Amino acid sequence: MFKNYLKVAFRYLANHKGYTFINTLGLSVGIASCILIMLFVKSEWSFDRFHPKSARLYRAWVQEHTAGQVFTNTVTPIPLGPVLQAGLPEVESSCRLSGGNTAVKYNNHLFSDPVAIVDSTFFDLFNFPLREGDSKNPFPSASSMIISERMAKKYFGNETPIGKNLEVDLNDSMVLFSVSGVARNPPLESSIQFDMLIPFSNAHYIWSEKTRTRAWSNVAVETYFLLKKGVKADKVNATIPSIMDPLVAASYKPGEYIITLQPMTDIHLNNHLPAGQQPISDPKYSYILATVGLFILLIACINFITLSIGRSTTRAMEVGVRKVLGAERKQLIGQFWGEALLLTLVALIIGTGIAAVLAKPFGLLANRQLSFSPDLFTILFCFILAAIIALLAGIYPAIVLSGFKPIQALKNRMQSGHGMGFFRKALVTGQFAVSIIMIIAAFSVGSQLNYLRTKDLGYNREHVVIVPTNKSRKEGNKFAALFKATLQKNPEISGSSTSLYTMAEAGWMNMGYSDDKNVFRQFVFNAVDPDFVTTMGLQVVAGRNFSKDNTADSGYILVNEALVKEYGWTNPVGQRLPGRYEEQVIGVVKDFNFESLHTGIKPVVMALRPDSFFRRSSDISYDIPPEPRVSIHFSGGSPQQHIEFLRSAWKSVSGNEEFEFQFLDNALEKAYQQEQRLGMVVRYGSFLAIFIACMGLFGLVTLIVVRRTKEIGIRKVLGANVSSIVSLLSKQFVILVLVASLLAFPVAWWGMNKWLQDFAYRISIGWWVFAIAAIITLIIALLTVSFQAIKAAVANPVESLRTE
Amino acid sequence: MLELKGIYKWHNTGNNRVFILKDIDLSVKAGEFISIMGPSGSGKSTLLNVIGMLDTFNEGEYHFLNESVHKLKDKQKTALYKQYIGFVFQAYHLIDELTVYENIETPLIYQDVKTSERKALVADMLDRFQIVGKKDLFPAQLSGGQQQLVGVARALIAKPKLLLADEPTGNLNSKQGEEIMELFRQLNEEGVTIIQVTHSEKNASYGSRIIHLLDGMIQ
Repeated sequence: MFKNYLKVAFRYLANHKGYTFINTLGLSVGIASCILIMLFVKSEWSFDRFHPKSARLYRAWVQEHTAGQVFTNTVTPIPLGPVLQAGLPEVESSCRLSGGNTAVKYNNHLFSDPVAIVDSTFFDLFNFPLREGDSKNPFPSASSMIISERMAKKYFGNETPIGKNLEVDLNDSMVLFSVSGVARNPPLESSIQFDMLIPFSNAHYIWSEKTRTRAWSNVAVETYFLLKKGVKADKVNATIPSIMDPLVAASYKPGEYIITLQPMTDIHLNNHLPAGQQPISDPKYSYILATVGLFILLIACINFITLSIGRSTTRAMEVGVRKVLGAERKQLIGQFWGEALLLTLVALIIGTGIAAVLAKPFGLLANRQLSFSPDLFTILFCFILAAIIALLAGIYPAIVLSGFKPIQALKNRMQSGHGMGFFRKALVTGQFAVSIIMIIAAFSVGSQLNYLRTKDLGYNREHVVIVPTNKSRKEGNKFAALFKATLQKNPEISGSSTSLYTMAEAGWMNMGYSDDKNVFRQFVFNAVDPDFVTTMGLQVVAGRNFSKDNTADSGYILVNEALVKEYGWTNPVGQRLPGRYEEQVIGVVKDFNFESLHTGIKPVVMALRPDSFFRRSSDISYDIPPEPRVSIHFSGGSPQQHIEFLRSAWKSVSGNEEFEFQFLDNALEKAYQQEQRLGMVVRYGSFLAIFIACMGLFGLVTLIVVRRTKEIGIRKVLGANVSSIVSLLSKQFVILVLVASLLAFPVAWWGMNKWLQDFAYRISIGWWVFAIAAIITLIIALLTVSFQAIKAAVANPVESLRTE
Repeated sequence: MLELKGIYKWHNTGNNRVFILKDIDLSVKAGEFISIMGPSGSGKSTLLNVIGMLDTFNEGEYHFLNESVHKLKDKQKTALYKQYIGFVFQAYHLIDELTVYENIETPLIYQDVKTSERKALVADMLDRFQIVGKKDLFPAQLSGGQQQLVGVARALIAKPKLLLADEPTGNLNSKQGEEIMELFRQLNEEGVTIIQVTHSEKNASYGSRIIHLLDGMIQ
């Protein structure tokens, strides 16, 4: 019996190529989308699970309550690890980790690479295998260093790395290290990424004695704990205050300083806590991605259902005959469901192929290295997906078809009126609605991205090149001065400036202090030279810029309007920040977006010399280390020539050091990578959705036209012209699109506004976006419909009436 | 073999009750060859469908062999007609996606006959109707007469006691029609009870008894 069904199914699918093509293609694309998204989600969920001890690994995070404000940090004080390990019997081991880009010197070549300082327990807690070296004793001495395979390749090529000497800039002193091991590159799905590791015994180069031993308000390292087997983290968290509260009693009341352990496997997807040393994922983007994939699949499934119902009149006879020949209903359900399953399996094979081919490009889009490997989970996922699709898409037609009464089926009385049934109308409306939502999303994301790209940031973003010195402050400033001097001779350079941070750095230095009324205040700090304002094109709205010739200006500061507003000054020039600082305001610059447009503009202080601010601020934090960087503004000309000029200028000053540069506009785009990827996904997704929906619509209209051939013939005989016939057939689809628009608008409006909340600077979605989405859908739908409608309308009525 | 007693079938349209079958009394003995005649809309096909248990009736009793059909549930009726009744249609109603062989085989599949047995039965039937050479063709590749031949073969494959034919020659030319009627006569002689609906006096004359129907009543 099964063979018989299979045979019929195969022949039916082969005989109705259009129907088969539409369904197979739609389902294949839908399945491919789902597989790709599954790969992405799998990657998201597999973070940090490759450590055999992952279930027992925790990272500490700290919450401080000061002056009515709450600071949450996953970077913790340095003494935390040893203190908790000593005080908590449940802790088996701990490891601290801190890192960032710094200068690395080898063979008189200077590079900038990430160097991390870690406890020697690193390779015991985490599963990072060593290709060379001893994981039991990774750092035989304080000057030992473990490097990753990619670093071994970068620095030493094919030479053996063990025993090679490298110099690392640790807080302005070059310290000699000798490579003692090579680690395999950490997997992508790891919250710990490293390239060069040095032992924690070098901490004294980086942090003061106080910071290393008792500064509980200074955060510097990520602290990981390995708990003993069978220990519950909740219990440990409950006992931590008994250890911590006495230690911080001088500054915090109990409950104001809270240390909590977070499961390591929770790090990547928990965005309630700030990111540590590595960025974490916003699960929102997984959800959006999954929604896009499911939308496409849904549209394909709806195609399957509507077309199956549409062709049910032609299959009614077969149902009738089979029933007369003795078929029971459940046998027919089995047959039709089997057909759906067969089609789905074919689509599964094609979809898997598409997914395998697209895994890499999609990985780029999702910023992940995805590969389609037929492991058990993936295979299981594919088959369950196919079964669900077949069930969803196939069971409704199966039940409808098998329910036909044989006599009516044989007499072809199955036509239920002229139009479509309510159910089918609802499905088609749903398809239109989903398409409209996706078009609105594509347009909205697109115009927000365009806004981000073109918004006036308050400074020059075009024709600006940033050259980092990769040197400590003292050396870098000296170097930058020489470098700037060589730039004078290029007439195309309209300005150049040295500063600790440039507009290319996503975050500057945050400083905090308690003012004279004991209110905790924060501002963003940058040390700049007098050329900064002119080079970047900042607008001075009050007072004046620093002057090159006046050395006394080092006692003054430039602030932005946001800071003036924060302090409520009416005459800002000459004011001091109330409290510890002596510098007076010399001028006010118009607000400029030195951070991405996700955030608003914070109060900014710019000074010529940072030293007194470093001394007087109580709270200093930064993600990117302060190093002199040179911003160069060109008045025009070719970027390639500019870079060549800068490279040769750099060579003439530095000799053999590596030249690094970035274009400011490119650097700024990086802040919106996630949004750009989203934009691409939504654009591709909406295109696919519309395309698949239209194929289904085309099939549906074909069926409807076939069924109404006789009616059309009669109408023509009675004098109807072509246009009236076309409008007769199109009218109902216009109504469906309108209904779909009404359904889609509020959903899209709500969703897009929610997404736009991520931006401090955002567009308001204009009514035209909605209008365009509806009109596009309407036009595409009408084009699809009218193709068949016109064909039917111009046909000779004698032909169609003779079919009876 | 079967007996209808006081069968009524009607539709309600608004306040009017339209009778399709009115007080039908009919008994058919095994081995009979009955032709039902009457003008369009007189209820011939409905009567045939009621006999074939494909259609229901509103009132009356129907005994088929030893079963009271009016008391049976749908499933039991299916089981009953599946076993004892073969159907032949005016429009042949072959399944387009199945070959001649497979079309004939289908009723056996629904009766859970084993594969080897099915093969033998279908081969016999093909042989008997002299369509062995056409067994792998699809219905669309056959002439109307050949299709109807397959239709009859399919109706007979499960060895029914009763053959119901609704204008079996309606779509055929006179020569093809004669062939089918000759075949019916032959089958009847072999013991198959046949009830056919027909417009044609000539076809009706092949039968042993003619029932005239007018406005749902036997004349």
